[in-house]
Amino acid sequence: MLRPRVPGAYAPGSTPLHRLDPRVKLMMLLVATVATFAAPAPLGLLMMTVGLAAALVASRTSPATVLMGLRPAAVVLALSVASNALVLVGQPGFSPDGLVRGALVVCRIALVVGFALSFSSTTPPPAIADGLAALMAPLRRVGVPVGAIAMSASVALRFIPLTVEEVDRIRCAQRARGALLDEGGPLRRLRGWGQVLVPLVVGLFRRADELASAMTDRCYTGEQTALLGPLARRELVVLIGAVAWAVAAALL
Amino acid sequence: MIEVSDACFSYGEGDVLDHVSLSVGAGERVVLLGANGSGKSTLSRLLNGSLEPTSGNVLVDGRTDGLARLVGYVRQDPRNQIVSSVVLDEVAFGPRNLGLSREEVLRRVDEALDACGIGELRNRATSELSGGQQQLVAIAGVLAMRPRYLVLDEVGAHLDVAARGRVNEVVERLVGSGVGVLEIAHDPLALFGAARAVVMEGGRVAWQGTPRELLKSDDARARAGFGEDSVARALSIAARRGLSLDLRPEPHAVARYLVREDACAFGQSHTKALFRPFLASKMAFARGSHFSLRDVSLDLRGLTLVLGPSGSGKTTLARLLAGVMSPDAGDVLLDGRPVRAGRVGLAFQRPGDQLFCETVYDDIAYGPRARGASERDVDAAVRAAAARLGVGEELFDRSPFDLSGGQMRRVALAGVVACESGAYVFDEPTAGLDGPSRAELRRLVHGLVEGGDPVVLVTHDAGEWLEEATSVAFLRDGAVVQQVEAHVAASSPELFVAVGLEAPFMVELRAELEGGAEHA
Repeated sequence: MLRPRVPGAYAPGSTPLHRLDPRVKLMMLLVATVATFAAPAPLGLLMMTVGLAAALVASRTSPATVLMGLRPAAVVLALSVASNALVLVGQPGFSPDGLVRGALVVCRIALVVGFALSFSSTTPPPAIADGLAALMAPLRRVGVPVGAIAMSASVALRFIPLTVEEVDRIRCAQRARGALLDEGGPLRRLRGWGQVLVPLVVGLFRRADELASAMTDRCYTGEQTALLGPLARRELVVLIGAVAWAVAAALL
Repeated sequence: MIEVSDACFSYGEGDVLDHVSLSVGAGERVVLLGANGSGKSTLSRLLNGSLEPTSGNVLVDGRTDGLARLVGYVRQDPRNQIVSSVVLDEVAFGPRNLGLSREEVLRRVDEALDACGIGELRNRATSELSGGQQQLVAIAGVLAMRPRYLVLDEVGAHLDVAARGRVNEVVERLVGSGVGVLEIAHDPLALFGAARAVVMEGGRVAWQGTPRELLKSDDARARAGFGEDSVARALSIAARRGLSLDLRPEPHAVARYLVREDACAFGQSHTKALFRPFLASKMAFARGSHFSLRDVSLDLRGLTLVLGPSGSGKTTLARLLAGVMSPDAGDVLLDGRPVRAGRVGLAFQRPGDQLFCETVYDDIAYGPRARGASERDVDAAVRAAAARLGVGEELFDRSPFDLSGGQMRRVALAGVVACESGAYVFDEPTAGLDGPSRAELRRLVHGLVEGGDPVVLVTHDAGEWLEEATSVAFLRDGAVVQQVEAHVAASSPELFVAVGLEAPFMVELRAELEGGAEHA
């Protein structure tokens, strides 16, 4: 029942990035991601960092959120820097080159995480799905069920809060019967989660069934009218600007 | 006109529908009543073509195919109907499937939102809305497809009195504009404004007539599942004396046909038992802005109802009382000792949420085993709990997920009772149950209270519990506004209004009757 703010979860607002068309944002994210890995250090990366700063300002995201988003991967990132900096094979010792190399990779990953967060926190899930559907539209010609893929993505995102609620309720009911879910060693805790999973999965399947027939009731066949209109000129300009900047950073 | 003629349906073994005929005209409101499992839902699924009759036929305005476009279907729990995480997108879902142009889709979205009076929710996240708002969004999503008929499958079951009223207003307007409505209901108030009532029993139409005839006939009322319902009893007395059911359910209009002595016939029972002391004192709890309680002190002996609008902290309170969360300050004491998880039983509306073992026996035995009791004591506790809740021993080897809804509920409660908790907290236990199942749950709770165990009940359906309850606690914004004796709350609508709720019909009616007697 306690829902902590997950870094990157959609936060309603009306910043310039909120108002931007999801297709443009999705393209920009794609281009920025490629450019971040292609850009040479240090100038290209510096340019990308300036770009990220602009994105964070335009979406009013605090840099602290980006650090929060990196936290789950912190151990892996630290290990990769360490393993680059420390030489264990042959002549053991410390390698400054390796340290720089590792640090640069971490920098690139942090940049990409930052871009992704500023996208996801300003774009509601259905708009992400619509954007995906629009960008994947050409694949329809080779038989890819684009509408269905976008719809599944949207429904999956919609189910996340419901699932969190359900897990919480089941755990409460079990704890009230004396189940010790948060005590004991890792094995016991894992077993505790197992007994939460049974009613959860049964419940979710029942819900999925019900939702599927609710969708059929509303004439869902897989193809839907696109809700996104043609792109405004201002949005095209933003997109072209972003692409030009990314190309420049990558080619520096 | 929807015409079902001589339709049968079977899911494999045995007929769920047995030669059923039914019609719903344009602009007509028909109420479909009957116990859970009588075939109501199956019949309603035939109307929009999502099920096809095995024999007989279903015609909607002369057509037999493409019925889903003509007949909109709204479900009991909006959470199972809402597809999208944003309101605008949710309402657009139906029209987008019809192959309409983008402009037309957006126009219909606005039209449907306006028709439901929720234009201001356009860009909100669906998961953040209250149950009542979610149900209005679900209805708007169906209206955006411009159906000629609507099937409403117990749409009020999860809503409080005020939200039910809002949904009802929307439906009334639609009927006025020529939409035909078939409404499945368990609430006798649904009879108001209906042209006809149809009662199903064992897959057949057991009774059909006007709402007034239904109320006047004891047999029809019992078949409809209203046998033990005090509102239905009051309405039936009023109907015999000439009450018209054409308009909205207004307590003062009904009260005109009743006298104060009638109130005894609605039933008001009092339990007299030695109550174990169960107290909450100066309890405070805070987690962010949404889940806070402050300075909550309650005397929870006997059966206590906890009432309050959504967001008032009811669920948080229930969990603190059950000991599955700990208060930041203050105590919850049962028999003078602080509660902890496992000492107070906690049960939710859906029994499936608390079943997780492979067999019924193991499930009931879970609590005693977790406490470390010997196998002999466990066996004794299981058999005692099963007997107390009427779970037959022949079910012990079955999987709890194979049982019917009613059996599952008994098993889930037996699992709670087997812990020998000594106090029980129920969180919204009756939402979506039919009349007989609700009456059964009331008997179960009554039995627990008679046995001397305190029971706390968090609910939006206060009306039916007031007769059983010892006291009522009104919650608002995380604080207890008042705790009063149940018989006081039973005739004081102002207490409900003071916390932002609407009083149940029965409470308004009692107040009218008692007020009327004072004036006389």
